[in-house]
Amino acid sequence: MGDIWRGFVEALKLIGRLDPYVVKITLFTLYVCAIATTAGMLLGIPLGSALAVYRFRGRKLLVTLVNAGMGLPPVVVGLFVYMFLKRRGPLGFLNWLYTPKAIVLAEIVLAMPLIAGITMAALQNVDPKLRMQARSLGAGEAGSLLTLLRETRLSLLAAVIAGFGGIISEVGAAMMVGGNLLVGGEPYTRTLTTATVLEVSKGNSERAIALGIILLGITVLLVWVMTLMQQGTLLSHPARVARNLFSRRDKEAAA
Amino acid sequence: MSALVTVEGLQHLYEGRKVLDVERLEVVEGEILAVVGPNGSGKSTLLRILNLLERPTRGEVRFWNGLSLSGMARAERRELGRQMAMIFQEPLLFKRSVRANVEYGLKARRVDREERRRLAGEMLARLNLSDFAERDAMTLSGGEAQKVTLGRAMVLRPRLLLLDEPLASLDAPSRKDLRAYISGMVREMGVTAVYVSHDYHEVLEIADRLAVLIDGTLLQTGRPGEVFGRPASDVVAEFLGAENLLEGTVRECRGGMAVLDVAGVELEALCELPQGSRVKALIHPEEIALLADALDTGSVRNRLRSRVAGMRVLGGLVKVELDCGFPLVAHITRASREEMGIEPGAEVTAAIKATAIHVMPFTGRGP
Repeated sequence: MGDIWRGFVEALKLIGRLDPYVVKITLFTLYVCAIATTAGMLLGIPLGSALAVYRFRGRKLLVTLVNAGMGLPPVVVGLFVYMFLKRRGPLGFLNWLYTPKAIVLAEIVLAMPLIAGITMAALQNVDPKLRMQARSLGAGEAGSLLTLLRETRLSLLAAVIAGFGGIISEVGAAMMVGGNLLVGGEPYTRTLTTATVLEVSKGNSERAIALGIILLGITVLLVWVMTLMQQGTLLSHPARVARNLFSRRDKEAAA
Repeated sequence: MSALVTVEGLQHLYEGRKVLDVERLEVVEGEILAVVGPNGSGKSTLLRILNLLERPTRGEVRFWNGLSLSGMARAERRELGRQMAMIFQEPLLFKRSVRANVEYGLKARRVDREERRRLAGEMLARLNLSDFAERDAMTLSGGEAQKVTLGRAMVLRPRLLLLDEPLASLDAPSRKDLRAYISGMVREMGVTAVYVSHDYHEVLEIADRLAVLIDGTLLQTGRPGEVFGRPASDVVAEFLGAENLLEGTVRECRGGMAVLDVAGVELEALCELPQGSRVKALIHPEEIALLADALDTGSVRNRLRSRVAGMRVLGGLVKVELDCGFPLVAHITRASREEMGIEPGAEVTAAIKATAIHVMPFTGRGP
C-alpha cells in the first residue's frame, strides 16, 4: 500500500511541476488522437451514411467489413499497418514506419470502422420515410442526408466518443508501428499508453502512475465535454447529465 | 378545368411484381382527387411517383409547366419538386422546435430568415398553434403533430399537395379537426390535392373526384356520387361496402331491358349484357320501397313478396333485413316503419324500379 501511495504522491508532483517529458508525451498523444479522430469522422460518417441509406453492389461486403472492423484487436491493426509500411511492404516507399504518421494511420484504421458502424446503425434506426419527407419538402440529396444526420446527432457524438476512446486507450498498434521511440533524448513516437508500458517495465512506478493519471484525466475530461455537448448543459441539468454519462459508458462497454 | 397532372400508361414493378398499372389519370386543377383502395393497392407508390421520389418502370407523367417525367433535366426536376409537398401517414417531424419544422421547406428554398419567420408565424397562427412555436416538436400529440406537418407543407404554397393517409394514425376527434383544416386550407389557397386513403368514408366529404385503385389497377374515376351509384365493377362495389350485391344470370335481354335470375327470383333491370351472362346486380338499400300490401300498383317493375327477417336502428334510418328468396337489405325512415308497423316476421312487398338495379358483369373477384 505504501508503494502505491508514494507513487501517487510522486506522480502528482511530476504533473504539478509540468515535467517536460510528461508534457511532451501528453501533447503528442492529444495531437495523434485529434488528427486520427477527425480523419476517422471525415471518412467514417460519410461511409456509415452511405451504407445506411443507399443500396449498391458490394454494400453487404462493406457492411461486414465495417462490423468486423468495429471489433478489430489493435494489435492486429498494428500488425497490418506494419506489414504495409515496412521497408519491403506495399507502402514502404513512404518511409512512415516508426514516425508519428504511422501511428496516426493505424489509429485511423481503428477509429474509422467504429465511427462508420455506429453512424450506420443510428441512421438505420431512423424511419426511411423521414428522408423522403425531407426531400418532398424540397431538400436535395445532400440536404436530406444532412437532415437525417442531424436527427441522429446524439448517436453521432456517441460514435465520435467511441472512436476517440478506442484510440486514446490503445497501446498495441501505437507500439508496433510507432516504436515508442526517443530521438535525441526527446520523445518522438511515444504516447501516454506506450510510455506507461515502458515505465512499468523499467520499475518506474511514479512516472507510470503519473502517465496513467493524465491518461485517465484526459479521457474523462474529453468524454465529459462531449457528453455535455450531447446532452445539453451541465449547469441546467446536472443530475441528468451525470446519469446519462454513466449510462453511455455502460453502453460503450457493452458494445 | 384543365389537367394539372396527366398520368399515362404508368406501370411500376417492384421486385418483378407489378404493383401499379394506371392507363390514364388526370388531376384537374383546383380539385381534391381522392385515390381510394385497400392497403397495398399501390396508392402510396402512385403518390411517390407524382412527387418525383420514385421513378416508374414505364409510363409518362405530364406536369403543369409542360414538363414530362421522361426527359426532365435535374434542375427542372428539382424546381418541379419544389412546387409540391407531401404529407405522410405518420407525422414525420424533425427533432427541432415546431417553428423550425414549419420553416424547413422555406429554408431549403433559401427564403431569408425574416421572411421565414413571418410566414411560419402566420401559418402557426392559422392552425391555432402559435403557443406551440418554440416547443420541441417531439413533445406534441399525434393530432397536433400532424397539424404541424400540414402547416409545414402549406406554408410552401404548393401547386400540388399530396396526402398519404394523413388521418390514419389519429384518433376520431383529431381526425375530424385535421380534416376540416385540410379541406379549409386547400380550398382557400386554391391548392390542387391528391388525397390517398384506404377508407373512403374519410374522403367522401372533401373529395371532388374519387379514383378507385385496387391491386394496382385504376378501376374507376368519377364524382363520388357517380362512383357510389354506378360502380364500374363488382370489385369496386365490394370495396365501397355495397349492400345488396347479388349474383345472378341474364335470362333474357331485349332493348336494354333484361330479366335477371337471382336465386330463382326474377328481377327486371336495365342491362346491355347478352343472355346467359353471369352478372352482379347492385341495389342500393335506400332505393327499395317497402309496401304493406301488393295492391299498390304503379310503374314499379319488381315487386317481391318478402318476410322481415330482422331490423336494426341506424340513427334516423332503420335497416330492414328481408328474405325474398335471397337476403335483401332496405333502409327506411323510422317514421315510415312505425306507420307501416313493420316488425320481424311481418310480410311486406319490396318494390324496386328497374332503373334502380345496377347490373355489372361478374368478374369472379372479391370476397
